[in-house]
Amino acid sequence: MKDLIIKITGTSGQGIISSGDILCYATARKGYYVTTYRAFPSEIRGDGKCYYTLRISEHQALTATGNTDILVCLDEDTIYEEIGKINKGGILIYDSDMVSELKETRNDIVAYPVPLKTIAKNVATERSRNMSALGVVVEILKNLHLEEQILKDIELRYKLKTQEVIDSNKNALNAGIKYAQNEMIRKDDYDKVNIKSTGAKLIMSGNEAIGLAAIAAGCRFFSGYPITPATEIMEWLAKELPKFGGKMLQCEDEIAAINYALGASYGGVKSMTATSGPGFSLMQEAIGLASMAEIPVVIADVQRCGPSTGVPTKTEQSDLFAAMYGTHGDCPKIVLAPMNVSDCFYQTINAFNFAEQYQVPVIILSDASLGPRRECVDMIDFDNLKIVNRLKPNLKEGDIYNRYEDTETGISPITSPGDMYGEHVVTGLEHTEENAPTPAPDVHKKMTEKRFKKLETAAGQFSKAKTYGDENASIGIISWGSTSGAVFEAIDTAKENGISVQALYPRTLYPLPTDWIKNFVRNKEVIIVIEANYNAQFKSTIVERCTHINRGTEVLEFLKYDGTPFTPEEIYEEIQKVYNVQQSKNEVITNKHTHF
Amino acid sequence: MKQMQENDYKGRVKPSWCPGCGNHAVIMALRKAMTSLNYQTHETAIVSGIGCSSRFPFFMATYGFHSIHGRALPVAIGLKQARPDINVIALGGDGDGLSIGGNHFIHAGRKNPNITYIMLDNEIYALTKGQCSPTSRIGTITKCNPYAWTADRLNPVLMALSFNASYVARGYSGDVKQLEQLIKGGLEHKGFAFIHIISPCVQYNKVSSFEKIKEIVRNLPDGHDVQDRVNAMKYAFSSDGVYTGVFYKVQRPAYEQRYEDVISKAKEIAGNNITIKDVIKQFQ
Repeated sequence: MKDLIIKITGTSGQGIISSGDILCYATARKGYYVTTYRAFPSEIRGDGKCYYTLRISEHQALTATGNTDILVCLDEDTIYEEIGKINKGGILIYDSDMVSELKETRNDIVAYPVPLKTIAKNVATERSRNMSALGVVVEILKNLHLEEQILKDIELRYKLKTQEVIDSNKNALNAGIKYAQNEMIRKDDYDKVNIKSTGAKLIMSGNEAIGLAAIAAGCRFFSGYPITPATEIMEWLAKELPKFGGKMLQCEDEIAAINYALGASYGGVKSMTATSGPGFSLMQEAIGLASMAEIPVVIADVQRCGPSTGVPTKTEQSDLFAAMYGTHGDCPKIVLAPMNVSDCFYQTINAFNFAEQYQVPVIILSDASLGPRRECVDMIDFDNLKIVNRLKPNLKEGDIYNRYEDTETGISPITSPGDMYGEHVVTGLEHTEENAPTPAPDVHKKMTEKRFKKLETAAGQFSKAKTYGDENASIGIISWGSTSGAVFEAIDTAKENGISVQALYPRTLYPLPTDWIKNFVRNKEVIIVIEANYNAQFKSTIVERCTHINRGTEVLEFLKYDGTPFTPEEIYEEIQKVYNVQQSKNEVITNKHTHF
Repeated sequence: MKQMQENDYKGRVKPSWCPGCGNHAVIMALRKAMTSLNYQTHETAIVSGIGCSSRFPFFMATYGFHSIHGRALPVAIGLKQARPDINVIALGGDGDGLSIGGNHFIHAGRKNPNITYIMLDNEIYALTKGQCSPTSRIGTITKCNPYAWTADRLNPVLMALSFNASYVARGYSGDVKQLEQLIKGGLEHKGFAFIHIISPCVQYNKVSSFEKIKEIVRNLPDGHDVQDRVNAMKYAFSSDGVYTGVFYKVQRPAYEQRYEDVISKAKEIAGNNITIKDVIKQFQ
């Protein structure tokens, strides 16, 4: 078995996330690759359902959204929701103290009714039954030797709480393990699971990876306003930035947040903010200011379902238009989309480097399926990270410094308050190279071109697109951001089934990597653009901007907008459909030729 | 350090305000106050929003940030928090600071950043050619309210006092000498200094002209206790004229000073020479 998907489900407040996190850390610390997916309601307690999926593997997995091997249900409702998504031969563990008889079951899976409530109550309290359930899982996966590490992780997680909390969690876990050893008649073959440990890795969430990269890139100022699912970035930086003498300031609203960051960046300090849809809408005017006044700033948008308040805890890739075109006016900026947790780190490094080099706002489009998800990241080589700082002029007394000097690249050297002879006024008004405001037509034309020239002369220098799969394939998939993981896995499945597909994954969405797209599309009969929004936002951008792909290549869309991320299975199904249509079309053409 | 003269503060662009505009007096007073404190142009930044008065930074030789409507305060506070070594002055009109940017005014008082905020109040939106602002008088007639303006006025000094600004003063463009003293006091004050300046618009506001304001302004009485916030509020409320002078002045730790404690606490835990490699231990 090359990998394994475990899913823990239940109602908000039952400790789904805690038990999932503990299992996640322990697995990573034992040297296995792990990637996760969490879904939870906005209410802290209540009837909302929580889902924590972990995929344990020998190699870095790209998604945890596939079908389940071991399903652990702490409530009844999620059993029937999830039972259909268990792999053949898989396991269902449920609390027989709460569910006396399953209303629905399957013959091709193994169901273990476990009296979790009783087990936990006997050694601790009922509340610890999440840990007893975890104990059962640990015993089933005995081959992974997780027990010792999980006990350590329980201590780490609850070290700030009382010894009593630590003990009841440990006791409940052990009781679960004992129950599985002594009372359960094993009918599954998961004791044969054999996943090799490949040594220590880093384990972090997408949001933490963005925070970590910010510090590594030299960011020393963050201003934000709490919003799901982006808050974790500011919480993490609030803890870490002051250790470096940096600041995390909580503002009165998102408008203040981004303007604080612009003020700080004007002061010469690398700055960022992070938000989600509603806050991102509020920031648009200031993003235009950063573009016009040429102030470096990084904005992470951890997308959630919109418009308006939408579904705060569920994922969507529907802020692409807002990121590319949300600001009024012709507004040069850069939009990057990370694909997984590791990429959140490297794309955030890129974001700061591009912001500093090109003096533009850089937007990172993460999402609710990526931000909170914890995942292994290979050790980062901090000593060899390329870090870019803004271009400073060499000024001496008597020099005339023009902040917006139109250079060959469009990039003007930049001074900050405190620098002698570099005094200047930055402004959101159109201005001359000498930073004087003016409505003159020739100036607005020239300076608009100057600002765009920065990006145009740098075309191709931004985060490079990547391809995956067979380059001779006639079916192509274009996806962006977190969707790409599921796409790559679906391509692997297709290959196993004799269908050849190649994927393109642009890591820079704006400026649109038209050359990459052009190259990719060249030999494709059909392209499927896969993204999590209703409007086919990236597809329509490609179709509109890359006119060359309209000739000869059919461009299809495969969209999802129910708040859940794509699974490799549903993408593979779509590939099959498109493949079958292509086959029959080709047959028709072949037949025609034969008859002719 | 260079000994500064008033002329050293003149920017590349000449003031574009109408002849007779109250703002000319304010820029004169600010330059005088800066001269007397020998503020270096490269160590000073003036941050404004949008409006007639917000053009101010262009007319100064210091660093400047002409931002967007209503956002002078957050840009200025962000700058000061990132660069506590820079003298930061925020500046703008009544519409900019009380209407579109009103929220930031509240929180600036509460946070007490060490910046000076000068509000040039002409009781009108002048750059857009005369519409009512939050300080326009009830009954005022403009193109936007040809029959009558129907909302009550805000009282900026009373607001600043209730938001707990640690220095609150009011001046009037007809008295440059007093303005210079009030601004100087604000610049020297370590904390959020709010200076409300009645600065008449000669083009669009005939109701509150220089002459009419002159009749109603009066100095705060000698011996007014600047530490007495309630009494300061009484004078701000007063209906027997518009008081000028320093209403309130107390010393409490500035925002960036308080954050120094945060940094000390964090460094106590992390040590002084932390590197990124120490940070990733939590992910191992």
